[in-house]
Amino acid sequence: MTPIQEFLENLKQTPRHIRESAMRNGKAPETDRERSQSTLHNLFLHMQSVRTDRRSLRFAYTFGLGLILTASFVVLTITGILLMVYYKPGVELAYNSVKDIHFVVPAGRFIRNIHRWSAHLMVLAVFLHMARVFYTGSYKRPREFNWLIGLALLVFTLGLSFTGYLLPWDQLAYWAVTIGANIASSPREVTDAIGITAWFDPGGFQKQLLLGANYVGQESLIRFYVLHVAVLPLLISAFMGLHFWRVRKDGGLSRDESKPAPPARIGDRDLEVFAPTKTYGLMAVVRGRTPVVGRSPEGSVSSWPNLMWAELAAFMFTIAVTLVLSYFFDAPLKEMANPAIPENPAKAPWYFLGLQELVSYSAFMGGVGIPSIVLIGLGLIPYLDRDPRGVGIWFGGPAGRRTFWQSLAYGLTSVIALLAVTVNFGWLRTWFPTIPQIAIIILNPATVIVAMFSAWSLWVLRRTGSIRMSAVALFTCFLAGFVVLTAMGSIFRGPNWHFYWWPSQWPTH
Amino acid sequence: MSGDPSRPFKWVTVICSVVTAGFLVAAAVRENVSADWRGHQAVFRGILLSKAKDDTARATARNLPIEIRQVVVPALHTVDRCVTCHLGIDDPRMTDVPNPHRVHPKKLLAIHRVEKFGCTVCHQGQGAALNFEEAKAEDYFWDYPLLPAKFTEATCASCHDPRALPKGSAEKLVLGMQLFEQKGCNGCHKLNGKGGQLGPALDNEGLKTKHQFVRANLKGSQTNWNWFAEHFRDPAGIVAGSLMPMPALSQPQVEALTVFMLSLRQRDLPAEYLAPDKIDEQYARLHPPAPDGAALYHRYCAACHDTGLHSRWDKKFARFVPGIRNAAFIRAEDDECLAENIREGRPGTRMPGWGPKAGGLSDAEVTALVAYLRTSAPAMVLPPAPPRGEATRGAALFAQECAGCHGMDGKGVIAPALANPVFQQAATDAFISQTIRAGRENTPMPAFGRAGVSESQIGDLLAYIRRWQPPTKQARSQRP
Repeated sequence: MTPIQEFLENLKQTPRHIRESAMRNGKAPETDRERSQSTLHNLFLHMQSVRTDRRSLRFAYTFGLGLILTASFVVLTITGILLMVYYKPGVELAYNSVKDIHFVVPAGRFIRNIHRWSAHLMVLAVFLHMARVFYTGSYKRPREFNWLIGLALLVFTLGLSFTGYLLPWDQLAYWAVTIGANIASSPREVTDAIGITAWFDPGGFQKQLLLGANYVGQESLIRFYVLHVAVLPLLISAFMGLHFWRVRKDGGLSRDESKPAPPARIGDRDLEVFAPTKTYGLMAVVRGRTPVVGRSPEGSVSSWPNLMWAELAAFMFTIAVTLVLSYFFDAPLKEMANPAIPENPAKAPWYFLGLQELVSYSAFMGGVGIPSIVLIGLGLIPYLDRDPRGVGIWFGGPAGRRTFWQSLAYGLTSVIALLAVTVNFGWLRTWFPTIPQIAIIILNPATVIVAMFSAWSLWVLRRTGSIRMSAVALFTCFLAGFVVLTAMGSIFRGPNWHFYWWPSQWPTH
Repeated sequence: MSGDPSRPFKWVTVICSVVTAGFLVAAAVRENVSADWRGHQAVFRGILLSKAKDDTARATARNLPIEIRQVVVPALHTVDRCVTCHLGIDDPRMTDVPNPHRVHPKKLLAIHRVEKFGCTVCHQGQGAALNFEEAKAEDYFWDYPLLPAKFTEATCASCHDPRALPKGSAEKLVLGMQLFEQKGCNGCHKLNGKGGQLGPALDNEGLKTKHQFVRANLKGSQTNWNWFAEHFRDPAGIVAGSLMPMPALSQPQVEALTVFMLSLRQRDLPAEYLAPDKIDEQYARLHPPAPDGAALYHRYCAACHDTGLHSRWDKKFARFVPGIRNAAFIRAEDDECLAENIREGRPGTRMPGWGPKAGGLSDAEVTALVAYLRTSAPAMVLPPAPPRGEATRGAALFAQECAGCHGMDGKGVIAPALANPVFQQAATDAFISQTIRAGRENTPMPAFGRAGVSESQIGDLLAYIRRWQPPTKQARSQRP
């Protein structure tokens, strides 16, 4: 072969060589060694296990929420980087740069819409994902620590969404973050009530740490920007990696280990289990031509391509939903931030409106007390409920399902009734105008809600004798409370935080 | 293959991928290709071609790039993209073409070059926008929506003294300015630091955002100009509890006054944008010419005191407003007493102070006002007051004769409050006793001297009335 022939041959073979070099296993495995290497050398199978239990692929078990979260994060990262190219984090520039993104950046408006909608979707999905994991008992041994990592991811997600809220520097952003910062300073309510703020002021410290000043301004904008585009994304990426790794190391998605998976079916004929032990090789590449080749006795299926399709479906679903929403509904952008003209009502982002509703009674309980109680309570769940039964079953079975519905009804009615009382008759300050604030800090709708929910949960514990049932009761109550309070804050509260049945009834000013 | 566990996922993937691709393409088309401004520029290219007279012009028209155009004015912090659609705005040939291609009317751009001024400094609106609805920005979360053509004159005042403009160029604005002075608006509203304090100061009315207006009762358009128009028609109907009298205004007058309100803008424009007459106007404000008493009276006093010849029943205040140019009153007051009343006002009544620290009038202006009031009658030498008598006897007489109008506690019912500290400080015994004795012509205050009240009884009344005298600053009232 002359050099020129060799050159031409190489040129001809280049596409094939590129393909082969991209895939570490370019060709179908032939030897056992290659079979094992095909696992070790495959990125997808490096993160996923080789076999996937059929039950893990059941849509009604996971609703694909973890993948929707991952997909939202990927979408947010990509659109976020695109927005970063045009966004200028200065109080004089920020608003106009967002306007320019809206008006003149090619498809800028669409990109910003996608970023906004993905963020909402991610926050919503993170709540639903946590509820799914809780109700299927998936936090139990050996997955306790991954539950804690998940909680950290919840906090980071809310932090990302909240820091991003300020960046457009419009009235909506400015006043929402002002509210948020005031919530951060809410320990002052307690230190004021006992008169030690002058010496010990954790609330003021928190607010200054958040804003870099006493009010929302340039320092806050830069701080939020750095958190939003660097600190929190790095943290969340690291924790996501840890979270996925633990999912795999803790045995994949949770499932009912007491029962075998339903056997693989072909047509409507049960396949006979042909071997009680793992006789298949890695990737289950078994020589032979029987119908069961490629299936395992445990009813697991090969991750590649079955799991790959499931994950791709969740990704594409997330992207499609986001794009449709972004096409029809623009991300809000109000007037440029103006510290002289407060928004009325000034509302925090929707996921904090439940807290803001509680803050309207007692800043400390709504802003610090309740969030701490909820986070600590959630973190303790896997360590207090160590009963290994019921893992992988929604609500742990029919009894749990009953507890869920009862607790949901109890949580909804009790919180709605409490809010109805406060809307119609006011609270302690209305009845006893001179009452010391410390009394309200101790007795306010937030603490009443906690008391009512704890009492219910204790009653369930005594009645059923099951810590799991009592946890289901408590979690469900808080979920109901979150939904009711969030709806209250976002829909039914108007100017001066007065109650209105519908925003169209708001007075113009 | 039946029984393929991936099958539903494959379907979801395929459907969602199709939706994704579809919406990506749709968005790309909507955002980049089908924008309105591209159509306008294509039409304008056609117009240019039809107007082209030679080959060079035709070539220019054919090569007109379809692109976003903008006027960046760093000095005004504006980026105005209006010219993306209004391509013919400074092309004098574009007189017979429809908007947005038409040339700017009145050849105004010849003196206000687009590159120097941009568009929004005069017209307001959202200059960054690339479609008309968002550029107009009436319902688009924008603080300064496009001024309708009939109000555009308002922004002339940012750089010009309207009175110095050539005749016919800002007529509405000038009319509005005159109305403001004639109707006595300054009696309750401050402007440039001068005026009453019953209503809000109006210095920055034109730059307020709609959120700074009380719009609870505003029907229809929520724009500032509609607020002004509705408010001039019925002030209390828009701002509940407003004491502002309803000025009887014709429709053109409402429009003119609205233009004037919108022209009140505290803007720090770079000096090179200000017309010389504007600088003269600002200089004149710091170095005012000799004040004209009559003009001052109409501007600051007439809204409440009207001609001042009679006392006036004010329905909104629910009391008599004294006739301060009434000859009987002016005759009885000396100049210093008048000046003191103007400077300090009457605390507790609707009469504000007008001194430099309150209403903002300079000493020279107060003196000019006093001189104007004095034209009604010269100060007379008051007959001496009788010695102060017995307050308890005075109280009985006061209850019988005076309390009906002045109130038993002297706080005033429909007549002036006698327990008022400024009154007690400014009025001498001689003034009070002369007023009781001779009454006040053209007001409900009768002449008690002629009705049989004796000098000693006047002394008793004096003693009773002086019980309301504040403890300090008694110098003037002690004088005969």
